[in-house]
Order: sequence, then C-alpha cells, then structure tokens
Amino acid sequence: MSIKIFASVILGALAGFFIVPVEIAGSLGMIADIGLMVLLFFVGIDIGKQKDILDTIKNMGMRILLVPLFVIIGSVVGGMLAGIVLSIPINEAGALGSGLGWYTLSATILSREGFITLSALAFLSNVFREVIGLVIIPFIAKKLGYLEAVAVGGATSMDTSLPVIASSTDGETAIIAFVSGVICTSSVPIILPIILKIGA
Amino acid sequence: MGILADLVKYLGILFVGALIGYNDVIKGKIADNLDIIQDICLLFLLFTMGITIGLDDEVVNNLFSIGFKALIMSLFTITFSIIFVRLIKKFVYVKENKDEH
Repeated sequence: MSIKIFASVILGALAGFFIVPVEIAGSLGMIADIGLMVLLFFVGIDIGKQKDILDTIKNMGMRILLVPLFVIIGSVVGGMLAGIVLSIPINEAGALGSGLGWYTLSATILSREGFITLSALAFLSNVFREVIGLVIIPFIAKKLGYLEAVAVGGATSMDTSLPVIASSTDGETAIIAFVSGVICTSSVPIILPIILKIGA
Repeated sequence: MGILADLVKYLGILFVGALIGYNDVIKGKIADNLDIIQDICLLFLLFTMGITIGLDDEVVNNLFSIGFKALIMSLFTITFSIIFVRLIKKFVYVKENKDEH
C-alpha cells in the first residue's frame, strides 16, 4: 500500500507538471472535495465498527483519554516550535503538527483550502512521522517506556503502527494505542481547520 | 464560512459514517469490499493532490527545502508528543508502576 500511495502522489505530480493544463486547477479542488468526503465517510464507518471501544474506555476509566489529549497537545506544540525555528507562521505550523501522522487527510484539507506549499509540507512531514515512528517505536518502548511508544504513533497507532506497538509493548498498551489512535484520527479534521483559522 | 464550514461538513460525514458502521447498516458484498473502496478513494485523492502540487511552481522549485522543513517538523512533533505523554504517564497506568507490592 505504501508504494501505491507514493506512486499516486508522484504520478499526480508528474501529470500536473507535464500534462494537466493550469486551468484545470479550480475544478480539481471540487473533485478532491468529493473524494475527501467519500474517504471520511468510510473512515467513519471503520470507527463506528469498533463497538468495544466504548467499553474499553469505561473499563480503563476516562484517564485513558489523557493519552490522545496529550499526544495532540504535544504534537501541536512541537509543530509550533518547529515553525519558530523554520519561520513558518505559527497557525500554519500548528496545523502541520495537528496532522498527527495522518498525511493523507492533513495534506488534502490544506490543498483544498488553497495552501499548496503547506499541503506538500504536511504530506511529507506526516509521512516522515509515520516512517520514523515505525522505525523508532521498538527502541522508544524499550528505552523510554510503553506509553511514549504510543505517543510516537499519533493517529497511526490505530492502524499502521499498531502492530509494531503491540509487538514491542504489552496487551494493555496495545489497547491504549488503539483508542488513542482512533481519537487522534477523529481529531484531525476538527483541530486542523481550527488551528489554521486562529490568527489567519 | 470557508474552512469552518468545511469542518462542520467533515465532522458530519465522519459522524454519519460512524453511525452506519455502528449499526451494521452496510452488509454483504459492499461490506466485504469496504477496504478496497476506501483504498481507491484514497489513491485517487492523493493523485489529485499530486496534480495540484505538480501544477504549483513554488512547490516544484522548492522541493528540497520543503523536504528538509518536513523532516524538522516531524522530529519536533514526535519529540513533543513523547514529552507531553510522559507528563501524564503516572496517571494512566495506575496499577502497574507503584503497586507491585
């Protein structure tokens, strides 16, 4: 799947650079919007199917929700600090951080809102987060702790990085990772536009 | 309007999807092929995003600097997610760390 993802972006970029006329750009936004809505609809179905998630939250107590909350805060703060270093406006930098590793969504929202450079940055930075995450999660779990390993995953701890987290931590942490991933994932389409709007 | 209106729209769609998923409304062939439909949408979406990027001279001309910024950005978001989660760690695992004996 990762190869298909990269191939789609690169083929699209090549088509945009060599073939597609500039006049098409406006209608692309509308097509992307429809695609995004269909995608979100299916992600919603996936989330809805996880019926035991509410039971898990009840059993483990509301404190499990602290994990995604602090993953999100950390990510947004980290993004903003990186923005200071890289001289990116603070709301845009925070929005990049709020992508939480879900590169497809953060990049498409931004490209739809007309932030093309920012969208490319969101795509790459969140891809890097996922790839770096997959590599360092076992190491972080061993050296820093299990919950820190969940933090690395961000939104991806419900799917791509879940197997790695599960194999390098324990059962309880895997459940926390999954719940955290679901909440992080649901938060991206909410928090990203809000942060982008602040100070814009 | 604009981005906040989009927010309501995204959230609404996510919610409707979640309700449908929770109540098992979709069954049979479509349910079995949800993953494939999702993948096709995703790849198509990324393809159109690629086109937008390829059409934009600013992005094409600054690809390396964007890549470098993206790397710094990802290192910061990972590091600070770890730091912030570490702050609340002791509240999450109540049983394990302290009450071993």
